[in-house]
Amino acid sequence: MTWSDETDRFVGSWEDGIGFYVYPTQRFKTVTIYAAWIRDLSPSDRALGALLPAVLKRGTQRWPNRVLMEQQLESLYGANFRADVGKLGDKQLLSFHVSVVNGQFLPGRPDTVGAALDFLTEVLERPQLVGGTFPQDVVEQEKTLVKRQISALINDKGQYAFSRLIELVADGQRFGLKKLGTAEEVDRVTSPALVDFLGQVRDESPFVFVVVGDVDPNAIRNHVAKRWSGAKKPLTTIEPYQGKHQNQTVIESQDVRQGKLNLAYRTGLTGKDAHYPALVMYSGILGAFSHSKLFINVREKASLAYYAYSRIDPALALMIIGAGIEFQDYEAARGIIEEQVEAMRQGRISDEEMSFTLKAYINDILSEEDNPGQLIGRQLEHLLIGGGLSGPALIEALQAVSKDDVVQVAQQVELDTVYFLTAEGDGQHGA
Amino acid sequence: MGRNQTMWEQLGELPVRETLDSGLEIVVLPKPGLKKTYATYATHYGSIDSHFTRPDTGEKVDVPDGIAHFLEHKMYEKPEGRDVFERFAELGAYTNAYTEYTSTTFLFSATSEIEACLDTLMRLVEEPHFTPENVEKEKGIIEQEIRMYLDMPGDRVRSNLMHALYQKNPVRLDIAGSVESIRTITPDNLYVCYNTFYHPSNMVMFVAGDVETARIIDYVANVEKARHLKPSGRIGRIFPEEPHDVAQKRIEQVMPVSAPLWLMGYKDQKVGFTGVDLLRHDMIRGMMWSLLLGPASKLYNDLYQSGLISERFYAHYTSAATYGLSMLGGETPDPAKLEAVLLERLPHEPFKREDLERLQKKEIGEFVSLFENLEDLAYAFNAFHFRGIDLALIPELLHQITVDDLEKARQEHLKESTRAVSVILPPREGGAAHAAHSH
Repeated sequence: MTWSDETDRFVGSWEDGIGFYVYPTQRFKTVTIYAAWIRDLSPSDRALGALLPAVLKRGTQRWPNRVLMEQQLESLYGANFRADVGKLGDKQLLSFHVSVVNGQFLPGRPDTVGAALDFLTEVLERPQLVGGTFPQDVVEQEKTLVKRQISALINDKGQYAFSRLIELVADGQRFGLKKLGTAEEVDRVTSPALVDFLGQVRDESPFVFVVVGDVDPNAIRNHVAKRWSGAKKPLTTIEPYQGKHQNQTVIESQDVRQGKLNLAYRTGLTGKDAHYPALVMYSGILGAFSHSKLFINVREKASLAYYAYSRIDPALALMIIGAGIEFQDYEAARGIIEEQVEAMRQGRISDEEMSFTLKAYINDILSEEDNPGQLIGRQLEHLLIGGGLSGPALIEALQAVSKDDVVQVAQQVELDTVYFLTAEGDGQHGA
Repeated sequence: MGRNQTMWEQLGELPVRETLDSGLEIVVLPKPGLKKTYATYATHYGSIDSHFTRPDTGEKVDVPDGIAHFLEHKMYEKPEGRDVFERFAELGAYTNAYTEYTSTTFLFSATSEIEACLDTLMRLVEEPHFTPENVEKEKGIIEQEIRMYLDMPGDRVRSNLMHALYQKNPVRLDIAGSVESIRTITPDNLYVCYNTFYHPSNMVMFVAGDVETARIIDYVANVEKARHLKPSGRIGRIFPEEPHDVAQKRIEQVMPVSAPLWLMGYKDQKVGFTGVDLLRHDMIRGMMWSLLLGPASKLYNDLYQSGLISERFYAHYTSAATYGLSMLGGETPDPAKLEAVLLERLPHEPFKREDLERLQKKEIGEFVSLFENLEDLAYAFNAFHFRGIDLALIPELLHQITVDDLEKARQEHLKESTRAVSVILPPREGGAAHAAHSH
């Protein structure tokens, strides 16, 4: 069960529109299986994309309703199953995820992994159709739930402010589109349209199948090859952000108790760029950790916020800074944040900041190897960016980054858009 | 964990436990092959412990609400002006801490320099440094943390429900306290709480990772030895008698949410268990909810199909020595109808043996997978430890629970007089206009 360079890495390939990757480690007690169809986000069919996973999880030919499906999952020692829609950059991912305890740790050593594979295959391949379409009531129920999810975005203020910022930055580009679509788009979805869409997705959409856990890669490969074959559209990578707003600032108000300040910066670098590791170091020194400039200056020194962070989007070539602040501190907090970005530009970076940041990343990168979900996420990211480093290779690249490299990157990071969510009326002092 | 050795061997897990002279308990779980080592140092002291008698003087003490959480924040500050975040950063480790009703936990996660990290974790917890200035400064940060929670509908709906359910027990108050209560905190308050509750005999350390157990234990034992501490006297925790009835039947609050958020609670009158009895009590009530309202239940499915609940609906039971309660709810378009259907059907849904057997399988699976995620495992271990429960008893107890146990729990627990409801409502139409302007 110890670490092995042989099994503790992804093996697999992308062929004819199908990606197949296995990380056959023996270090985990569970096996995680992830499958997804990858689509370009588009207003014309994103609502169909949002609904398809939702209706597929409602019944299969073998387990025709959700009670029977849930009971099957319970019988598999509480297998965890999710079918949902995800978004990475300008891609919409119709995602299916099963994780199950490996039978070798259970009484009687049942073949839970085989059963979990069968379950997932059944969901993808043999949906419960009535008269050739999804049951009308099921489709209507799921439409109602998706519409509620759309309007629920407003409930999480941090997430809401973040997504408003991305929308403002995108300004019509596809990565600004919401993965669920609009209520009107969802309303227009019909059961026959979903069946047609499923056919189209199966025929064209790039399909990826990833497994992490103690399995035989060849057995999985055979399982996949037998059921899913190629001749699909090739996988295209995510289009990075190209626009150029000049310090666009948007302030909106709601009935909130805390202001949410978010800033978007153009970095000009995606995960596959040679200078990307320098950008990673840049963001780490600026705001990824509790020793970073933003946390120290906005929270610890000025006591203006409970959180203040920066993070980079490796696909879109963006960096986002966020902080939760008092309404009247908008100018002060924004001032301190921009001062930190300027300090980076001017190379005011200590040796300690370089070394703390490097060590923190090494810790994060190595820790990823203990988390099946993170391993799958990073594999997907590489596929959709069209490259990039991870694991030991990324560590090596970060170690090679010099302070000059960081400063060089700092000089190409430019403020694009600022978004501030503040209180209505009386709560709003001087913002 | 001695008498459950077989169970651990079956699982392939071999934890080692030791009690040091100072009274500190340490448990080390070797996880060969994992990159990460995860360690927690936790005290049996949480937000509800604001009234107590000091073990040294016997004096009765009342401290401001929210002080346990404040203390957790302040432990990161040290006299040399370099805080503990920095020291962990130097070691390339991640650190965090959290405060709950009955415990406070400090942690690190690291992939190298484990002994230096352990040393830093111990200094973090063992060297308090509170000054009027650094206490004052923290108030601004914690105020922002509290305000962040005030904007979280899920947090508010739970907070209001606790307020409705409990008349006296301090679980009715928010863990972080209020903006007003924390303003009254002083360094003296903090030292009294620290000296009472951060004594090693009131604490436990848990370490899991690819480590040598003996080495870790020796290392910690050596550091502890230098402190020359002996187990402290008993801490008198003072809890008011909780009346039978709820404080309020219903609390409603308007927030900018898209749909009503509804949560119903039942206050458990049967409290005061510890150890195996508490575990059994807890498991029976938890399994009762899984059968009544888990994702595989008929009732859940009917509610889902009628559009009254979404997949985020939940129903569970939680307890400690002085309180126990059930919470069930989620987002719903029609709180009145959801409540009516539940009140009508909850007393009559049949408990079936085949459903219980399937649930037992699920619970076993979840127990095994707990050992894969060190964060979840440490969390569960600490929570159980402070309630006097050995985690390893779960599989054995699980199979002793019968349909009759669940039926009896339902009769005892689902009483109208102990039931309360909390609802977050969206603003009325027209009241939610969002002004927008650019400059």
